[in-house]
Amino acid sequence: MASVAARSFVFRQQMNTRRFDFASCLNIKSFYSSYSANPKEKSPENYTQYHEVSSDNWKFVERLKPPTVVPSFPKNGSCFSDWTPPPDTPPNLPYFVKRTKNFMVPVYLNFEAVRNQRKITMVKHIEGDIWALEKAIKSHLEEVTKRQVVSQVHEVAMYIKFRGDYVLHVKKWLLNAGF
Amino acid sequence: MILSLYGAWQKNCGGAFPPKFKAPRQVWVSNMDTVEEEKLGLIDLHPEVFAERPRVDIIHENVRWQQLYRHVSYANTKMRYEVRGGGKKPRQQKGSGRSRHGSIRSPIWRGGGIVHGPRSPTPYFYMLGFNTRLNGLRSTLSAKLAQDDLHIVDSLDIPTDDPSYLEKLVEERGWGPAVLFVDDNDIMPLNITAASDSHGHYNLMPVYGLNVYSMLKHHTLVLTLAAVERLEERLLFHLNRNDAASAGQKYKLDSV
Repeated sequence: MASVAARSFVFRQQMNTRRFDFASCLNIKSFYSSYSANPKEKSPENYTQYHEVSSDNWKFVERLKPPTVVPSFPKNGSCFSDWTPPPDTPPNLPYFVKRTKNFMVPVYLNFEAVRNQRKITMVKHIEGDIWALEKAIKSHLEEVTKRQVVSQVHEVAMYIKFRGDYVLHVKKWLLNAGF
Repeated sequence: MILSLYGAWQKNCGGAFPPKFKAPRQVWVSNMDTVEEEKLGLIDLHPEVFAERPRVDIIHENVRWQQLYRHVSYANTKMRYEVRGGGKKPRQQKGSGRSRHGSIRSPIWRGGGIVHGPRSPTPYFYMLGFNTRLNGLRSTLSAKLAQDDLHIVDSLDIPTDDPSYLEKLVEERGWGPAVLFVDDNDIMPLNITAASDSHGHYNLMPVYGLNVYSMLKHHTLVLTLAAVERLEERLLFHLNRNDAASAGQKYKLDSV
């Protein structure tokens, strides 16, 4: 009888200790319904230390953020890619082709028509005499490719389309012309 | 006195020179103190905002969008399961010699349900593309300037709150029957607010409320200097930003 009581006492003790350990490692957080019931803030030495950093360090954060507006291109120094900056003064021609907001030449390759896909070279951002520009580019393309080139001039939206993939030829011509 | 906003251009162009065929437009700055127009000076308007070739199709798209995006159609018709009655089979399938039917409210019956009728409420919400809206504003402003319907004033301060003062002013200067006054601030001076209150055709608007429909509805558009500066700064920012797609993300619809 005594052994049984002793064994049950020991067992209860073990249970108690185990239960205590289990609860302590769980660390259950309590949320109180009112402000006054909540435990209040302790004095600073109960919490981890912190130290203020100078506000000059914000520049390390700022340089990670992408710019909202397109930044200007570097004026001097060579770019190791094909890209050339737009010249300072416009060429003396009756037309003008403006660079895009990212300073790229506005010549694009479109794939039009659902079946029998057509490659269309499109030149956008044109100002001035669009027909003169079309004549100039068309004659250049016909000279280079030695075949007839079909084109469309859209006077309202101010773009020219050429049937075929002449993107590189047109880009080169525009850069040579000084746009 | 010549006020130039060329500095804003240079800052917003990223250093590139202004295009050859787009010279800044010069506009007079008037006053609102007297009925007679007094020219205070000249101002340069940025051609990317005020001298764009007006695209009438884009203006039309903007007007259509402004009218439609908030339209909800409340027209409704009942389907066969909503029309009162029609649960019972009218007659047995075989034997009567007549055609077979399952319900007296089927669409082929008189008084039956409508199959593809309007279903209330039907929203017509859609979001026009970012660049379409942007170019709509540019086209409308350019058209207004080109058609002599755009005027710049130094501020909207008028000497009295008499409604007839505004009438005389607009009549004297040959501004259209309907005038839209645009300022940077949304709290307008007391006098002009009181004077224009009785007139439905003189309206005050902050710059952030400027839209294609309102500009077309009013014959004349009157901008203050502060409004012009703000407008140019905002529109040039939107023209030179690369993350415009993210601006329209929250309006994307799951279905077309």
